[in-house]
Amino acid sequence: MNGNKEPVLEETSSTYGAAGDGIDLSLLKDSLTMTPWERMQANDDALNFAESLREAMEKRNAKLK
Amino acid sequence: MQNLSELTRRLIASQVEFVLVDGFAAAAHGVTLVTRDVDICCRFSEANLMRIQKAFAELHPVHRPRTDLPLQLTPEQCASLKNLYLKTDLGAVDCLGEVLGIGNFDEVLKNSVELQLPCGNCRIISIDALIRTKEAMNRNHDLITVHYLKEIKKQQSQN
Repeated sequence: MNGNKEPVLEETSSTYGAAGDGIDLSLLKDSLTMTPWERMQANDDALNFAESLREAMEKRNAKLK
Repeated sequence: MQNLSELTRRLIASQVEFVLVDGFAAAAHGVTLVTRDVDICCRFSEANLMRIQKAFAELHPVHRPRTDLPLQLTPEQCASLKNLYLKTDLGAVDCLGEVLGIGNFDEVLKNSVELQLPCGNCRIISIDALIRTKEAMNRNHDLITVHYLKEIKKQQSQN
């Protein structure tokens, strides 16, 4: 109950936003609000972050050899 | 403007107890699929959740399921929340209290490796644990990721 009409945060599942096939609809909706150029920039940012993680993992694995 | 590495840097700088999981963990292990949010498993203690709140305080964080609700955690919420899905000025961050197929934060922590990133040290779920959780999640894109991860393991064992 929320008689005073204040917003209440309810618990959500561990797959919040994911449709049955695993698509995160909230991310998809955000993506659709962007221009194509903004989407390309967001993709670049994600790729750059992924690349920095891969490089760090390669260095770690090289040390373990 | 999205800046996912800055989100991670802020988590590290604020000494949040977390392990990077899901898409970017897969990327760290070599998977070439692209993801758009940072997923972490973290300790859901009040102190740690407040560190997360502090880390993103300047980035107008809101709850993704209710974007009209700013992130203003109370001790009561900290005690009851099991997951936290955030949207910030720099991108989305999903904070999970446990990972399917692995367990709670302590179990995920045991199944993680430490990486030295330019912005500091960060723990990442191990490749074997990532395969286990992706198999447990069993969604289409999880199974594609499993194929990549198993091929990466095969390649690594041959080198």
